[in-house]
Amino acid sequence: MSRKGFIRKFPPFNILSQEEVEQIKKASVDILKETGMKIEHNEALKMLEKNDCIVDYERKVAKFPEGLINECLKRCPSSFRVKARDPKNDLIFGGNTVYFKSSPGMHIVDPRTGEHRDATKQEYIDAVRVLDALENHDWFSCYTPYFGYMGVPEVMKMTMGFIMNIKYSTKFSGLCFANYNWEYNFRIAKVAGCEILCPGFMVSSPLTLSEFAVEAGFKTLEYGFPVGVDTGSVMGATAPATIAGAIAEFNAELIGGIVLAQLKSPYCRVYVWGFPNPLNMMNGAPYFGNIANALFNVANNQIWRDYGIPCRNTASVYTSSKLIDYQNGIERAVPAILSAISGASSIHLYGGVYGEIAHSPIQSILDDDLAGMIGRFIEGINVNDETIALDLIHQVGIVPGHFLDKKHTYQWWQNEQYVQKCADLLTYPEWEKEGKKDCIYYAEEKMKKILTEHEVSIKLSNEQEEEIKSIVKELHNFYIKRGDLKD
Amino acid sequence: MKSDIFAKLHEAMIEYNEENVKKLVLQSIDEGINPLETLDVLTKSISLIGDMFQNGKLWLPDLMLAAKCMESGMEPLKNEILSRGLSLKAKGKIIIGTVFGDLHSIGKGMVATLLSANGFEVIDLGVNVEAKTFIEATEKYKPNILAMSALLTTTAPEMEKVIDNLKKEGIRSSLKIIVGGGPITQDFADNIGADGYEPTAVLAVNLVKRLLNIN
Repeated sequence: MSRKGFIRKFPPFNILSQEEVEQIKKASVDILKETGMKIEHNEALKMLEKNDCIVDYERKVAKFPEGLINECLKRCPSSFRVKARDPKNDLIFGGNTVYFKSSPGMHIVDPRTGEHRDATKQEYIDAVRVLDALENHDWFSCYTPYFGYMGVPEVMKMTMGFIMNIKYSTKFSGLCFANYNWEYNFRIAKVAGCEILCPGFMVSSPLTLSEFAVEAGFKTLEYGFPVGVDTGSVMGATAPATIAGAIAEFNAELIGGIVLAQLKSPYCRVYVWGFPNPLNMMNGAPYFGNIANALFNVANNQIWRDYGIPCRNTASVYTSSKLIDYQNGIERAVPAILSAISGASSIHLYGGVYGEIAHSPIQSILDDDLAGMIGRFIEGINVNDETIALDLIHQVGIVPGHFLDKKHTYQWWQNEQYVQKCADLLTYPEWEKEGKKDCIYYAEEKMKKILTEHEVSIKLSNEQEEEIKSIVKELHNFYIKRGDLKD
Repeated sequence: MKSDIFAKLHEAMIEYNEENVKKLVLQSIDEGINPLETLDVLTKSISLIGDMFQNGKLWLPDLMLAAKCMESGMEPLKNEILSRGLSLKAKGKIIIGTVFGDLHSIGKGMVATLLSANGFEVIDLGVNVEAKTFIEATEKYKPNILAMSALLTTTAPEMEKVIDNLKKEGIRSSLKIIVGGGPITQDFADNIGADGYEPTAVLAVNLVKRLLNIN
């Protein structure tokens, strides 16, 4: 039992020749061999030295031999299962399956005005329930829907948000580490009966792994959870402005994390992703929605397919728009479909407005249609005697013959089309008569319906809730001791 | 000839020719030209580039390369100014750093570069700076402004820790504090008790000028 996602029926789109793939892969190896990575973690450096890396302890830089790189890449499973709270929501990453996931936002955003602010606890819960209900949404990103909710101290926000996710949804969830909260998060997940996917080895580009990031990765593996390796290079800032150069560096960073993961826990489940944005040369912010991002993802999906390791496209559908508008639509739809046809294992999509600054459940509902359209597209076209319908075409013949009253139409049309749930599909006179409603109106109506009717498939038991409460108390005390909380 | 050197220096600045900027500054020193006049040429050139950037005619790489040129010329120029017993009065002193747990340096670097190019003395503490290091640096350098950067939502709360520690040490009121970075907002800045926030490096320079009442 697992979520079906969408199965890409056709061979993935390749933007590079095999020679170009090899050239970029070789460049990544050269980066690791010659420049190496800064790894601010002594145990990790010792482990690398033991495995034939050249380690400069003073600079904390390790240089990786090619044999080790290849061996560690081979150890990564090409497909693996992650466990959700409800087994029907387990995910199997890899192969031709494409999943869609949600995107976090620091704030809740008004879908009409773009104004944003902290979410209340109720708004947080509502956004989780919406994501739980949406048909094509497969899993939650780290700190999604919001980075937390009002009334919770900053350091506790991610953990408290995660608890709302597992309480109000049984879908699989990612979770980011913050302020050494990993052990508590893992314990909460275990109590809830699920796994979580965390960016354990989170690289700081260029080519640096902090002590915290390595420690987070090691702890993840100690708990037996799948580990995320991710980086966040910005083309023109922390990586070359050229897409090929940025991919070479980006992948060197991911491979560095993979080597650590596979040395620490051989054959562990590794999922790679990252945030490859070009720099907005007007103001130094990441340039969300730039087509360079899609080019990067399409090429990199091809390279990771070649490595045989599932890869998720994360920043592919961030937009620079602050509103739910035309710009937002094209900046998320174009890269999302390109990611889907080029072999991304899962695609960041639902709810995010303007990078990770804001999230909106209305956007999530609209994104469910986008995921449905893309999913339908990658499922491709069935070609067989029944779908070609030659006999029927002969039978209908010429005008005034038609197909509307034929059983074949009745049987097939819904399979062939994807009918959006929240789009305005009326004729012009109908639209005028119905009060000129737009897609946001329909999404708002759908949200009301979800919040009235939707129930989480499995509730947490009282015992689970009590156990989680006591872990939260421990975490609170831990932060008081560390000086992160005052009382 | 002075006017010839100055014209070439301006040209080197707007062509982002770091090597020529340095060469021409050294030539101006060799020829005994008043270093404050040479500095004026550099300042006017970078101001022009800054204005063009703000008007959307140039891009960030232009600004950064110009700032690098400025830095390459400033090094010998500063020594000359000091050796002649002249004073190079900075507009203000700023301590800057990326908070503990955060290794992101680009935004912080851009702000530091632009502040230096605008005549401020900048003490860059680097990245992953612990609260106690900010406090020690504040006590040591007595800056007008402390600037903190964070790119991660997970590290932004460190800023509040630094401000709380400054309060504990009784030195909070002696300086202005500004914060910036991807996850930072005006509300966040207000909540942690910072004096200012701006979303971009260019606006950060304007903020510093505002806080220090500089036109």
